[in-house]
Amino acid sequence: VNEGAIRQNAAILDYCRTSVSCLAGVTAGIMGLTGLYGFIFYFLTAGMMSMMLLTKAGSSWKKFFSSWSVLFSSGLFGGLFTYILFWTFLYGMVHVY
Amino acid sequence: MAELLLDSDIRIWVFLPIVLITFLVGIIRHYVATLMTSEKTVEIQQIKDSQALIRSRMLRENGKFLPRASFEMRKHYFNNKDDGYFATQKREPVVKNPMTDPTMMADMMKGNVTNVIPMIVIGGWINWAFSGFLTTKVPFPLTLRFKPMLQRGVELSALDASWVSSASWYFLNVFGLRSMYNLILGQDNAADQTRMMQDQMTGAAMGMPPDPSKAFKAEWEALEISSHKWALEQIEDELVNKNDPLLENVRAQRNRNL
Repeated sequence: VNEGAIRQNAAILDYCRTSVSCLAGVTAGIMGLTGLYGFIFYFLTAGMMSMMLLTKAGSSWKKFFSSWSVLFSSGLFGGLFTYILFWTFLYGMVHVY
Repeated sequence: MAELLLDSDIRIWVFLPIVLITFLVGIIRHYVATLMTSEKTVEIQQIKDSQALIRSRMLRENGKFLPRASFEMRKHYFNNKDDGYFATQKREPVVKNPMTDPTMMADMMKGNVTNVIPMIVIGGWINWAFSGFLTTKVPFPLTLRFKPMLQRGVELSALDASWVSSASWYFLNVFGLRSMYNLILGQDNAADQTRMMQDQMTGAAMGMPPDPSKAFKAEWEALEISSHKWALEQIEDELVNKNDPLLENVRAQRNRNL
């Protein structure tokens, strides 16, 4: 397996992860989710993103990622930071004032 | 805990400006860093060494597709006791002392200038300009332990821990926006990203282990224990037994002719 291709795939995955967590944070903030619901929402969207990638890759996902867990877990907590920031930001903008 | 009512002017003149300032300073910092990076010079000897290491690794990984003689020949070239590449090449261990090497010093300085100093300066400025505001509330409950972290500059013991002061909002932004920069700067300047990619691609060749002779020794050992196993041993049988419509056709025709 090509080293560069793996790295490229990981970079794209990271890219998707950041965008999805950013958008999810905005959504959660506007909807005014609080407490545990917000975190559940994040993990739900992150899981959904992985599922969508998996569907797109179809049955040949083995060609693109070395293991199944990489697709679901890589960058999950880095994305969480982005998510919390946007969540707090939009929540503050909409609901606090 | 009673709900606080914040003045909505705080939102326009404190909350939003902090986000914008953090974000734009990050982008400026990126461009300054791009301006100040110096070309890394690599000596030809280092490139030779690392390319030899890469070739040997590829031989170990993909050698099964080579005929036995070719594999042994390549292995001999690297590992032969008398004149093999890894056996004969002796390198002085290069230990770079960052204090004596002026280019290293300059690189470190640049790293500090672009990363640490703006953070301190802007942080101090925000602390000074926007001190003492409560800006927002995190939408989840937190324990009291987070109070000093989230309410820097506002020491009220009765306040709920989920309120965030302006200085702390700045720090939250600094840490949270880091991955956003990857997203945005990667999108905006394709030139930068391709250069990064190039760096990564040649990175295998550039990133030298500090002591080549040690790496040679390790690679020598790894190559020594790798033996040749030809992957194409059964290739004719596999080809013939493959369920290929074309082959089926050929086989059927042959049977008819017989």
